[in-house]
Amino acid sequence: MNCSQVYELISEAVDRRLSGKVRQEFETHISICGQCQAEFTSEEMIKSLIQHRIPRAKMPAEVYSAVVEALAHERQSEKRSWFTAFFGQPIFNPAVALILILTIAVGMYSVVKKPLAPKLPNEKNIISQSIKNYAAVMAGSIKPKIMSHAADDVKDYLKKDVSFDISVAPTNGCDWCGGTLSEFDGVKLAHVVYKFGGEQNLLYVSQTDLDEAMKGEKIGLPTDAKDALEKTGWYFQDKPGKYNLVMWEQKHTLCTAVSKMDRQKMIAFLTDTGE
Amino acid sequence: MDILYNYAMRMTSNPDDAHDLLQETYLKAYRFWDKYEKGTNIRAWLFRIMKNTYINLYRKTVKEPDTVDYDEIKNFYNTIKDESADPNDLQEKLFGQLLDDEVAKALESLPEDFRTVVILCDIEGLTYEEIADFVECPVGTVRSRLHRGRKLLQVKLFEYAKSRGFIGKD
Repeated sequence: MNCSQVYELISEAVDRRLSGKVRQEFETHISICGQCQAEFTSEEMIKSLIQHRIPRAKMPAEVYSAVVEALAHERQSEKRSWFTAFFGQPIFNPAVALILILTIAVGMYSVVKKPLAPKLPNEKNIISQSIKNYAAVMAGSIKPKIMSHAADDVKDYLKKDVSFDISVAPTNGCDWCGGTLSEFDGVKLAHVVYKFGGEQNLLYVSQTDLDEAMKGEKIGLPTDAKDALEKTGWYFQDKPGKYNLVMWEQKHTLCTAVSKMDRQKMIAFLTDTGE
Repeated sequence: MDILYNYAMRMTSNPDDAHDLLQETYLKAYRFWDKYEKGTNIRAWLFRIMKNTYINLYRKTVKEPDTVDYDEIKNFYNTIKDESADPNDLQEKLFGQLLDDEVAKALESLPEDFRTVVILCDIEGLTYEEIADFVECPVGTVRSRLHRGRKLLQVKLFEYAKSRGFIGKD
């Protein structure tokens, strides 16, 4: 392999795409050619600089809800859309069009990835635990330590003891909200409950440190949820008639909301910044 | 969806424009859903809508050339070689002193085609094959754009370092 052949392969070498004989010849050449070695090291340095110094912009939740809203508005201005054409039913609220697009994207990604990770034990699984906690809140066996009509009271109470940002939605449209804290294997968890009119109408949200959840050592997520969060910042799950689960990233916090409420209503309520 | 938002941010350099671009992309996807070929990569489809929307909305007045003055890149390397016995050592020191904003600005100053592949490869971690699907070009083109994009970035960063006085001016 000569210098110009090596030069052509530098990017692929930096991106670890070379294998077999080509890789061997490339490595042999740069071990004896200072100029090519310098070119390789230099490009590797630039790649590392981009990776470490340019943060990946994460979409703010308010942008997400604005896009959902724009899609809903778009639907109102037309009689028949791909959404109704697709399902042959006009009863779907088209605000979920975006969610459908995302869900398809996430679904396809999951199929491609074919996760082989070992099954996460239930006690560590944030999703299982959030559903369990929702059931306990509904049954009255978990009660909030603080209850208030003002979201800020609950937020102030919770944020004192945790290192991640606490998110409490403005209580517009709900009777009260409440909160409590707990710890699992040294990991702090915040729990927020919103009570809406009607005996059984509760919305439960667990919050914990995003990095801790993604690391998956003490608490964690099933592979499909983790992949979806990494790719879209959102994950959805539902069991018709039992619950709707919405999971999303908010700065460095992982929020998991569970309720019998309609998914769109949950998203609209939880992403309301009050502005 | 973060991949689209991140791309919008890196292309427009402005959160408001990124928001508009993202919204416009989804509205178009909604309107032209019948054009989506089922079974193909939906992320790539959405990405292409965004890229075309960006070109239509933000690039009406400025048509950037797709070619790059390669002599500039070569000259850069000769210049930096004169500055130090080990140019990579010097480069690491110089670039280490730059602010994150300056690194981001240098990336944003690259011509679109180069910037796109660098973002998709080095920030989003896509494979060459995925990038080829996203930007609809052969894998070989992805490879050469990446190489040139990174080289150009190196030149830009060197210019920033020079303007900040980290290195003697000519």
